Amino acid sequence: MSRLPAHPGQRIDRSRPIAFTFDGRAYTGFAGDTVGSALYAAGVRVFSRSFKYHRPRGLLCVRGYCANCLVNVDGVPNVRACTEPVRTGQRVVAQHAWPSLEHDALAVVDKLGFLLPVGFYYKTFIHPRRLWPMYERMLRTCAGLGRITFPDEPEGEYERANLFADVAVVGGGAAGMAAALEAARAGARVTLVDDQPELGGRWRYRTRERHVGDVVRDLAAEIAGDDRIRVLGEATAFGLYEDGLLGVLERHRFGRLRAGRVVVAAGMLEHPLVFENNDLPGVMLGGAAQRLAGLFGIAPGRASVVVVADERGVEVALDLRAAGVVVTALVDAREGADSAAVASLRDGGTTILRGSTVLAARGSGRVERAVIGDLAGNAACEMSCDLICVTVGAAPATALVAQAGGTLRFGADGNVAADALPAGVLVAGEVAGVEGLDGIVASGQLAGAEAALALVGGDIRLSRRIDELRDELASRPKRTHAPCPGVAPGRSSKRFVCLCEDVTDKDMKQAVTEGFDHLETLKRYTTVTMGPCQGKMCHRLSIEVCADLTGRTVEETGTTTARPPAQPVPLGALAARSADPWKLTPTHHQHVEAGAELMDMGAWKRPLRYTSVDEECRAVRETVGIIDVSTLGKLEVVGRDAATFLDWLHPNRFSDLAVGRARYRIMCDDAGIVLDDGIVARLADDRFLVTTATGTIDAVDQWLEWWLAGGGRCAHVANVTGSLAAVNVAGPRSRELLAGLTDVDLAPAALPYLGARTGRVAGVPSILLRIGFVGELGFEIHCPADYGEFMWSALLAAGAPLGIRAFGVEAQRVLRLEKGHVIVSQDTDALTTPFAAGLGALVHLDKPDFIGRDALRAAQTRPLAERLVGFEMADSATPPGEGAAIVADGRPVGRVTSAKRSGWLGRVIGLAWVPTALARHGATVEVRMNGATAPARVVLQPFYDPDGARVRS
Amino acid sequence: MSFLLRCPQCGPREVYEFRWGGEQSRRPEPDAAGEAWTRYLYLRRNEAASQREWWYHRAGCRRWFLAVRDTRSNEVARTFWPASPEEPTA
Repeated sequence: MSRLPAHPGQRIDRSRPIAFTFDGRAYTGFAGDTVGSALYAAGVRVFSRSFKYHRPRGLLCVRGYCANCLVNVDGVPNVRACTEPVRTGQRVVAQHAWPSLEHDALAVVDKLGFLLPVGFYYKTFIHPRRLWPMYERMLRTCAGLGRITFPDEPEGEYERANLFADVAVVGGGAAGMAAALEAARAGARVTLVDDQPELGGRWRYRTRERHVGDVVRDLAAEIAGDDRIRVLGEATAFGLYEDGLLGVLERHRFGRLRAGRVVVAAGMLEHPLVFENNDLPGVMLGGAAQRLAGLFGIAPGRASVVVVADERGVEVALDLRAAGVVVTALVDAREGADSAAVASLRDGGTTILRGSTVLAARGSGRVERAVIGDLAGNAACEMSCDLICVTVGAAPATALVAQAGGTLRFGADGNVAADALPAGVLVAGEVAGVEGLDGIVASGQLAGAEAALALVGGDIRLSRRIDELRDELASRPKRTHAPCPGVAPGRSSKRFVCLCEDVTDKDMKQAVTEGFDHLETLKRYTTVTMGPCQGKMCHRLSIEVCADLTGRTVEETGTTTARPPAQPVPLGALAARSADPWKLTPTHHQHVEAGAELMDMGAWKRPLRYTSVDEECRAVRETVGIIDVSTLGKLEVVGRDAATFLDWLHPNRFSDLAVGRARYRIMCDDAGIVLDDGIVARLADDRFLVTTATGTIDAVDQWLEWWLAGGGRCAHVANVTGSLAAVNVAGPRSRELLAGLTDVDLAPAALPYLGARTGRVAGVPSILLRIGFVGELGFEIHCPADYGEFMWSALLAAGAPLGIRAFGVEAQRVLRLEKGHVIVSQDTDALTTPFAAGLGALVHLDKPDFIGRDALRAAQTRPLAERLVGFEMADSATPPGEGAAIVADGRPVGRVTSAKRSGWLGRVIGLAWVPTALARHGATVEVRMNGATAPARVVLQPFYDPDGARVRS
Repeated sequence: MSFLLRCPQCGPREVYEFRWGGEQSRRPEPDAAGEAWTRYLYLRRNEAASQREWWYHRAGCRRWFLAVRDTRSNEVARTFWPASPEEPTA
């Protein structure tokens, strides 16, 4: 199909044809075309099938708003054809139609519409209740639009950006561009967000008034040359949040744009007219027809009926005529004398019908005739046409303002009352109620200057400029508020208010009859405005219909709450790849080289196992093993009051801890609940090393800082987790191993169990702690992180003759379970006191006040309902899952928190919470596993070395 | 929730940089009645009004401070260091 003659506003490059396919057929468009424009130019009129009735739908808004042209592009569902650029080889496929768009089997639903009243599936499919799962499957198959195909590589599709600006301007039309330039001129850093490929808004494609296009192209050129202005093109500002945060989707980039001031200059939103078959392909918004002609050089039809209610609509008719479309009739809701523009149409042979509107569209699959009548609904004539252009009403695009909690209120002077706007938000151009290019530019300049003034402060020249612009704006025309009815008179079941969701005014009437007469409930029940257009086409219409049905005014009817997003955002964009840091210990690469299987522990990667867990365990029990414990949280607490601070933090005491000694710590909150455990080692009178669990370091650090906030204690906390590498050396021959590496006296008398020394290990200055978690003689070496690799290698080399093995987290968990050691937050939960966890000996209620004292004192006197105990399975060779139920008399009475198979002991052991009555050594309990129960025996002492002789050896 | 918070040390920052520490409340004296502890530990005033609350600048200076925030609008009237030695336990 041929295109119109070239024009400066057009977006297409006719020298660059682009081939793509639609439903398997080959099409050719031009560079600059959208999928929608290229297909329309090739004669395609049906783009989709509707949500519920499977009615054919064609281009309506050509703006990326309505759902009429949703297609699947290269596997991505729900892409708007009218804004998606054509690319070579693109595969476009129609959605929601089978076997084809033109012949859709489910279109039969349209004929059976009377069976499917609003809310039909709540009513029809609820009885009998047991069949609901079947109904649901069936409905799910029919419902929805696009189908998701999951890509092989789900990541990497979208990226995230944090953007900043002094002034953010939304809308790249005349007002937005003027605002951006003015703000930049005043010294602000500006970001201009526009959803089109080039700036200019609707001014860009005015075909008849050349100077308008020139003015706007000049503004665009000026912006292109201004490096203080960043333009985000083809970007949608979908949300405006607190403190000037805009959510911006820019192709495949999800941006959080934080701005000091936000200027909303998004222009007007045209809405359709409700009449019979108003969804027939060929019924189009006036702006859509203008865009097809102005941007893409396409005559939107051959013969048109143009439905108008003001001079803006008459402009559309003139534009159509200029694009070579025969304007058969101008259907004007107004009475009265011809304006010059109307007269010119009449002279050109157009039938002018006053006080009229369109009552119905007729045609098979596309518009063939328009039924025209008076405003009371009496049909007067039918006219042949292939295009019904509707330009009856438009509303300011205020979604962002409304989301941010503001409203547009116009004062007596026709200007927007700023006090109803959200803080930091300004409006400009048509949103601000200004008409005509000159006024719109002035309005934009004023908003830009005011935004800049608010940021840079009282510059006298800027203030003067603002005064001038205010005067200038006052002299410009304001939009007169004569809202045109968006609903033509008539009765039919095919008068669509909401095209996305196939909601007719008849549906709404029925819903109101059923009692859903408040706009918010009406919306939820009928789903009007809840489709992909987010109410852009139907929000105003739904209010009007609701007002009419309930006998209220539009003002009384009110509006629904506006929430982001204003434009659909792919979930992939919201889940865009963000900073996802992970941490590697200083010895990480050695673990990888050794073939370790890694696991995630919080942000850390840790070796889970190297070779065989049993062999790793045996090495620790028989000779010596080493484990990288660099991930342990490590705090240094220093200061005059460090000891008393630690006393305050813990139920046990540290002020009496001798220098060179370490002590086990548990920490509780004021409710007496165990938060964390670890070790406190006193390195000097006023200096302690405190270790925490891997996952709790940040919380513990913050907990300590919180209790220090405000001063009053001479104690300081430094998180040294990352600066120290730590290795635990465990096993009967660990002393022998270290003796050859250190000058520290390791003799039991010199460095007893829970001793702490500083000295050199393998020549590296280290802290040496005689502690262990696995029940063997053990030493923990903390050294500067830079020496971590060296230390690890030195230990492995020195231990080779002894049969040393590195062991991972899995082996450590087995070994600690053999000792019955508790892991806080795995074996304990948010109700666990030290008494119930068997850690009561660490609670010293005779101390002065400490965190949790009163709660622990109360807890001590209460009988325990349940206790944490060890258990061993009688005959099961596989461990029960963590969380498995302990069963008594067929009822769950407890739960397993840890369970492992111990190769050393040759049986499955674990920890579990059981009722106190069952917490007897040797008591038999039942553990639920795989739907059956297996017997287990309660063990109230460590499974391995119950006297602790080995750790003290 | 996307507002800016003025850290007394680092200036206005995205709220995502902070950890919320809850409304400020006074820890009961030792040996206080169980009811006072219950109120302190488990009950929140949860006011629809301006309230004093703790914030921690996780991604910045790593310090705790106090803010007066309107829970309805997220408007933060002021932020400040806990002033007195008793403040943290207050």
